[in-house]
Amino acid sequence: MTGSTLPFDDLERVYERLAETLDALPEEQESHFLAQLALALAHRVPEVDRVMAAIDEAREGTSGN
Amino acid sequence: MRPAGRSETDSLYFDYPHFPFVRPPELDAQAIRHRVAIVGAGPVGVTAALELARHGIASVVLDDKATVNDGSRAICISRHSFEILQQLGVDGPFEQKGLGWTQGRTYFRDREIYRFQMPHSDQERFYPMYNLQQQYIEQFLIDKAAESELVEMRWQSAVTDVSQGDDGVTLEVTTPEGDYLLEADYLLAADGARSVVRKAFDLSLHGEAYEGRYVIADVRLESDFPTERRAFFHSHALPDTTILVHKQPDDIWRIDYQLGPGEDPEQAVEEANIRERVELIVREVMQESGDWELEWWSLYKAHTLALDDYRHGRVLFIGDSAHLVPIFGVRGLNNGLADAANAGWKLACVLNGQASDRLLDSYSPERRGATLDVFANAGKSTRFMTPPTPGYALMRDAALALAFHNDYASGFANPRQVTPYTYAESPLTLVDDPAFEAGPVPGAPLINRRLGDNDFLLDHLGIGFNLLHFSEKGEIEHALQQWLAAIQAKGIDLTLLRLAREPGAEGALVDPDGSLFAGYGAAPGTAYLARPDRHVAVRWKSLEPTALDVALITALGGE
Repeated sequence: MTGSTLPFDDLERVYERLAETLDALPEEQESHFLAQLALALAHRVPEVDRVMAAIDEAREGTSGN
Repeated sequence: MRPAGRSETDSLYFDYPHFPFVRPPELDAQAIRHRVAIVGAGPVGVTAALELARHGIASVVLDDKATVNDGSRAICISRHSFEILQQLGVDGPFEQKGLGWTQGRTYFRDREIYRFQMPHSDQERFYPMYNLQQQYIEQFLIDKAAESELVEMRWQSAVTDVSQGDDGVTLEVTTPEGDYLLEADYLLAADGARSVVRKAFDLSLHGEAYEGRYVIADVRLESDFPTERRAFFHSHALPDTTILVHKQPDDIWRIDYQLGPGEDPEQAVEEANIRERVELIVREVMQESGDWELEWWSLYKAHTLALDDYRHGRVLFIGDSAHLVPIFGVRGLNNGLADAANAGWKLACVLNGQASDRLLDSYSPERRGATLDVFANAGKSTRFMTPPTPGYALMRDAALALAFHNDYASGFANPRQVTPYTYAESPLTLVDDPAFEAGPVPGAPLINRRLGDNDFLLDHLGIGFNLLHFSEKGEIEHALQQWLAAIQAKGIDLTLLRLAREPGAEGALVDPDGSLFAGYGAAPGTAYLARPDRHVAVRWKSLEPTALDVALITALGGE
């Protein structure tokens, strides 16, 4: 597995773009959009282990709610 | 605002001074020409007066009040600001009373998810940040000004109008004993967000006012929790509100909370509503069980507003009169103090004949540049602290949730505290020497280095320009000595600091462990020219004495 990741400045740009894209969507389409986005991003990651790890990370982030 | 039955100056911990009106000579028809008038005796105005006095320039400070600020307001003083205070010789009481701190915690859904550390090391004399109520800040500065024969404070003196001509400014002043006109060569407008001087010249601030209003409330409460910045997002008690908590001296705690989108600000600041909200935060969010007393509260809005030009002829705008910034990142007061230092030394150099009036043209690009840099970050910080839309709220909460286990997301929770601005684009800053691999670049402030027990590099700075010269044993070539003597003979205030690898020449400062030379990327022969405000004008890996003349001319605004 390669360890290369997105620089934080770019991650911040993604954050802002996502916020604005979400605001442009009807609320009931949010989860549909995010699921599509997850698949589209996963397609661009050559190692499946990294995608699975990301799923686990996001899952953990919701467990403390 | 204060609880019912208590006046604005009836504090639980602070004895407000009363500054009497002293009848000025102008009221008895004596014509006086002041060199510098300063409107506003807040922290920024008095700092400017002290900076001018440090360079031997007299000023008169006018304020309509008879005491200091009514509440604690700006409470965070950065290390860079402390280094300004040290140059003014007033850091002692600030350090004694202020609470130094280095870290903060972020909570999301009542769980600590992130701790941030501000850069700190034993090379520093001061903590990265100190908490101190604004009344103390003002009091300590005013006490210092009282020791100086060069600062005249005129209390209960309201400036009502200002005009300027080719060779000076005229202020209309209203006092308890009548009105008078005050004449001065230059004017520093430190009269805050609702600046009368700005209005007199019909100048306005431009920029954005962000959505969202915030309450700041001070309570007295005994708690052992250390001095840190705490930020609470999405607490169970107040899920839609972001809460900030800071400790202040005298067992005073600052609680800062956002009002909801539908909340009426006028109702929110009613005492009963403040008490109800504070009780909830103290018990459920801060988890404190002790008694608390309400001291003071206020309402504010997040702005990014600035004047287009901070210089208007013979008037320089310093502090909130020139710019309003959101409080996240504690940049309001700290940038105001940097304005005061910047305007102060430049005006002093013009008035004592070391530079032409053109030096003042560099004030706006340097300090407005610092403001625009704040604005660039302020939008991000504000959208994070107080998400303006559901999309931003969703992203904010997602980033905070990921930050609990993943360092890559914790950057989002970093409060982006104030850092000193580098005047890289300034007309006073010269091109860097590419031979350097470390050290402060031209435009950046000098860094501190420990020389010994209670002994630091910045303790040794002279009043005006400083030449930091690095050598093996503190030796100075004859040619350089001659150049320095010639520059000083022209009336330029330039101090030579000899920095040596090992003991030798008397009076040289010795690098105890190599970290001074390493921190500055220096070798024997290296030199840094620093301005009176500690910002580097230029540096040479190996100094040719003739280059010094050109550098000083540029750093003083050109010929």
